[in-house]
Amino acid sequence: MTVYRITIDRSLCSGFGSCAELAPQAFEVGADGIATVLVGETDDPEVVEAAGTCPMGAITVEAVEAAA
Amino acid sequence: MTPPRRVLVVGAGLAGARCAETLRANGFDGELRLVGAEPVPPYERPALSKEHLAGERDAASLELRPRAFWDEHGIELLLSRRVVSWDAGARIATTSRGEELAWDALVLATGATPRMLPGWEHAHVLRTLADADRLRVRLDPGARVAVVGAGFVGTEVASTALALGCSVQLLDVAPVPLERVLGPEVGALLAGRYAEAGVELQLGEPVEPSGLDADVVLLAVGVAVDPIRTDACGRTETPGVYAAGDVAEAWHPLLGRRLRVEHWTSAAGQGAAVAHAILGEERPHAALPYFWSDQFGLRLQYVGHAERWDEVELDGEPGSFVARYLEHGRTVAALAVNRPTEVAKLRTELAQLPVAA
Repeated sequence: MTVYRITIDRSLCSGFGSCAELAPQAFEVGADGIATVLVGETDDPEVVEAAGTCPMGAITVEAVEAAA
Repeated sequence: MTPPRRVLVVGAGLAGARCAETLRANGFDGELRLVGAEPVPPYERPALSKEHLAGERDAASLELRPRAFWDEHGIELLLSRRVVSWDAGARIATTSRGEELAWDALVLATGATPRMLPGWEHAHVLRTLADADRLRVRLDPGARVAVVGAGFVGTEVASTALALGCSVQLLDVAPVPLERVLGPEVGALLAGRYAEAGVELQLGEPVEPSGLDADVVLLAVGVAVDPIRTDACGRTETPGVYAAGDVAEAWHPLLGRRLRVEHWTSAAGQGAAVAHAILGEERPHAALPYFWSDQFGLRLQYVGHAERWDEVELDGEPGSFVARYLEHGRTVAALAVNRPTEVAKLRTELAQLPVAA
């Protein structure tokens, strides 16, 4: 199973919030209207799909390893 | 139903690319082809009127995926060609190069083309990377730029050209910019902002090509498109044929009607919904319409879809406000201007609304 590293470029985030809506286990929109990522690495496909909905392309998903 | 083995995606914009990616991400291991009219792999179109036109982001940085991604995922890019015809009976599509491509599922994600007007053949238009590059080299400091059409493309280009040191004229037959989508009240606020920034506004009167005194003319009067009606998962009336993105007039389950929009989030969501539908999963694109625009130091973020409204409620000041569009006392759409903290809340609030009767 592939493990992904999830990062957010907070300077690009526009506060749209679809990441936190689709994967609240991994993203949170703070009081400043900017999203933060709550997990460093994940193998949860829901998180990867949520990242793809960011209209600003602020969320980066990198495959880090293929675990057994 | 036998799952399809050959998927042909026509159009290599965001909707087509997202469809292809989503197919692979969900285990589709058949033949997957993506046909694109432009010579470049799928890229981010929203930046064309902004960062790319301003020279801040080069073409390579706009690509949706690293070059190697398509090969690695077995997505065959057939670029610099169009699908000129397709036969739903034989399930064959023919390209402008004469290739005959067989398919079990056909995805029409062909986008839209800028609307042209007679007499304006020499004006620039802006839709593709090539359009943007042609325009960009003309935007020298001091150049006199006439932008015809005060929609989103026109106003964003006006903003970028002004920042590049051009002298900018913005013309439209409508009395205020962005009137059709944002209404007269918000349009008037924005017009004030543009004028203050130094744009010369000529609004509320017809624009003739011969009457312009400019070095560069951009015609930005919307798009021409032959809409394709689909259900909420992107299926057309023809079995095996789907549509997504700007070309699709898709049923929206939350709004209870069909609509065709040209938004990034809709293209992405519809592309993904089509991929799931091809794989036999019902995953309709049901998110509320949303778009944004960056211009003149303002970030505009619009949630919902209002074609008519009774009243606009403004809260804030010209440089930072929320406008609510009300129909029968209910907010049906909202615009946040330089108010990023409001957007997620507005999306949640508007998504609770019952389907309009």
